[in-house]
Amino acid sequence: MSLTRFLPIPSDRMGILWSLLPIEDTVVLEYGPAGTTHFSVGFFGELRENQENHLFTTHMSEDDVVMGDTGRLEEAIIEIDRNFSPKVIFVVASSVAAVIGSDIKGVCSYMQEKVNSKLVAFEQGGFRGDYSSGIKESCSQLVREIVKDNPVPQEKNVNLIGFSMGSYRALSDINEIEYLLKSAFDLTVGACLCGETKIENIENMGGALLNIVLRDEGREAAEILEKRFGTKCVLGSPYGYKGTLNWLNEISKVIDKPINQEFLDEINERIDNTVYYPMYTMMLKKDKPFVALIGEYERIIGIGNFLKDMGFSNQLRLCLHNLKNISNPDDSVVFYKNECDRLDSVKNLHRSFILGDDPTMSICQKDNVFLRISMPVVKGAQITRHLPLVGIRGADFITETLEEYLQMLK
Amino acid sequence: MNQGNEIISRLVKLKDITSSKDIKGLTAAMFPGTHCPLMGAAMAIRGIKDAILLVVGTDECTYYTKHMTLNSEDFGGIGGRCVSAVLDTTDVTFGCKKMLDRAVEEIVNEYAPQAVFIVTTCVVEIIGDDTDAMADGYTEKYGIPFVSVHTEHFKCENHLPGIERTITACFDFMKETEKNNSVNIIGQRLGRFEDTELFKVLSENNIEIGMQLPCGCTVEEIKTAAGAKMNIILSPIGLPLAKKMKEKFGIPYIFFDKFTNPDKIIKAYEELFESLGQVVPENLYEIYKNAKNIVQEVSKELEGITYIYGNTPFDCMEFNQFMVNLGMKPELIQTVSVEPEIDKEYLEDILANSNPYVTKTANIAPLQYVYDVIKPNLYLGHEFAARLRKKGISVVRCDNASSMLGFEVTEFITKELLRAANESRELKKEIEV
Repeated sequence: MSLTRFLPIPSDRMGILWSLLPIEDTVVLEYGPAGTTHFSVGFFGELRENQENHLFTTHMSEDDVVMGDTGRLEEAIIEIDRNFSPKVIFVVASSVAAVIGSDIKGVCSYMQEKVNSKLVAFEQGGFRGDYSSGIKESCSQLVREIVKDNPVPQEKNVNLIGFSMGSYRALSDINEIEYLLKSAFDLTVGACLCGETKIENIENMGGALLNIVLRDEGREAAEILEKRFGTKCVLGSPYGYKGTLNWLNEISKVIDKPINQEFLDEINERIDNTVYYPMYTMMLKKDKPFVALIGEYERIIGIGNFLKDMGFSNQLRLCLHNLKNISNPDDSVVFYKNECDRLDSVKNLHRSFILGDDPTMSICQKDNVFLRISMPVVKGAQITRHLPLVGIRGADFITETLEEYLQMLK
Repeated sequence: MNQGNEIISRLVKLKDITSSKDIKGLTAAMFPGTHCPLMGAAMAIRGIKDAILLVVGTDECTYYTKHMTLNSEDFGGIGGRCVSAVLDTTDVTFGCKKMLDRAVEEIVNEYAPQAVFIVTTCVVEIIGDDTDAMADGYTEKYGIPFVSVHTEHFKCENHLPGIERTITACFDFMKETEKNNSVNIIGQRLGRFEDTELFKVLSENNIEIGMQLPCGCTVEEIKTAAGAKMNIILSPIGLPLAKKMKEKFGIPYIFFDKFTNPDKIIKAYEELFESLGQVVPENLYEIYKNAKNIVQEVSKELEGITYIYGNTPFDCMEFNQFMVNLGMKPELIQTVSVEPEIDKEYLEDILANSNPYVTKTANIAPLQYVYDVIKPNLYLGHEFAARLRKKGISVVRCDNASSMLGFEVTEFITKELLRAANESRELKKEIEV
């Protein structure tokens, strides 16, 4: 690596923290210098994550670092168990704890008999990859350590795996997915790894009808569940009109239940309304449409394919995280470790449709059409829970800006 | 209630403190915890207009620091002068010099900076990279000042050492220069010096302002700061630099903190004008008299008002002494420093009619249990106001005092204490009903 001018890629530890924070009836305890926790408060607040009585730090002194004293971690575990009685305490190592080799798992192991809360250790500390690895680890470890045997069958419930609070419009997306499942199959979401969900829903994940793996980082967790409980899974997220229909068809096939006819008609009507878009692009005499997608793997593939269906097949697809957790990544997707290379690949684009994150878009030429689809948000904030990028409403939203792009093209 | 009693039972009382080491935290598990010196360093470099902040640390430390500057005009926003050299496992294992060499070269080529602050974080300090030597090497190679500022949080309590180390590091930029009649302003942490009463007083008396570190200056102003006639030090974080400048360049300094007590403020003004060889302007004595009258009037209303002291822009002990002299009673003081020998003057007054509990700062989560036991009227500092109102506690908001120095501080804080005390009385009545 060399110079990072904008924001670095969030670490595995950051991904773990934002994955664990939304889980109800749990506490996240960081073992490390307090400043990191305080610094993170604003960032997690922007992700709409509640931290009150939910996130704590032990702080670390020089003695703790030099002598490896874990006394304050032990004391903090006992205090949290006694004062807040959470079902689970997630003990998360800091980068300092990871570098000095603190045995967090060992501490949790011998402290377990002294407390009622279940102790789960996360030792990554920020050096085992980027946040994509953190999401994967969170999903897998929760499934390994929290999900109980002999669950009650829940024929109306599906689990979502691989959801990330760190994604742009995450809370809107989850609402749209719930709406799709309800409208198409009268299904509800049981546990959501890792979003706003109760710990008991995670404990009972084994009884769900189906696991839906929204992004590839959740695949391993789904495989563990399939092995343990035989639960089938569907991979992918519903982007675009056809993409949403395909996703619902996949679910329909696996659960052997047809899509509600009225809802199916609604989606097909939307698909019919878009058949003219490829023709628009063919009518262009001067401009050659170009789309740049910058974001998380599942999203740029999903939206990229949607726009391809609409006739915008000339695309650049830049992933903002490492692809090592994606099985068989699509050849069209590029990941640059160095920020500079990523910026260089887009800074000279003109009259293109750029869908990405604020920092990358900030260095692009102004004669492009922009749509924010990725974190981080620099301008303004994300507040609503009703403007998704997935599903029918997400496709509607993206199409609105696509229309703006078409208006610009000659 | 039991939980609150249990937490309090572990705390030490002010009278029993022999050194800062005796101060205990409310609990071992804290939220949100103190700010780290990395943030302090960033706060200081924000005010040095043409310097680059280069954070050397993990993805997380560098991310949060950049995130803090995203909407800062001073830093230049997203594409601004806060940049990072992010450590990966190779750097942790083999040292970060190679990576830093590349990052520094890119900075020099792209940003043409006047100076670069290489701010190192916890992990860099643990692996033991000699960034001081690297900074010296870059200074020699590129011909602009590079300084290394160390901000490992595990060796200190909060962000203040980060500010102190950054402004002290600026000493390395300074050169012998022709003497002038200006005064340097050192150590204002927040706000603009131009908005303060002290600035107005200096301007009205034709006293030229030199370097303002860290509240607004250029690297060139730092380089030539040794030409000043005097340094005015606005908080203890400026003292190490002032002492170095006195030793090397013979520049005297006076200490003009954000005092609340009008007697201390007039003394600071007298010392300032005496050091400059000027007579204290008459109107200052009139303002002093007015401030004394306000204090006398307000003390009738504040007698017996109890409070928890959290975090304010003022000196903890000086402000508590001021409030105690107004008739108020501290129940709990949050601070990281009590040194009986150094703070003797303040402690005598505070302890004359009270003996508050003392605990460390920045741990508001367990305080919610303490309120039901202590039942104070006021909370001074940052807390969730709605939560406190339900318990009949009014929040005293002090942030506006960041851009104040002089008698304006006394007037502002007495009015705010009075407002909050009246609000608390109303809240307590509502709770009783």
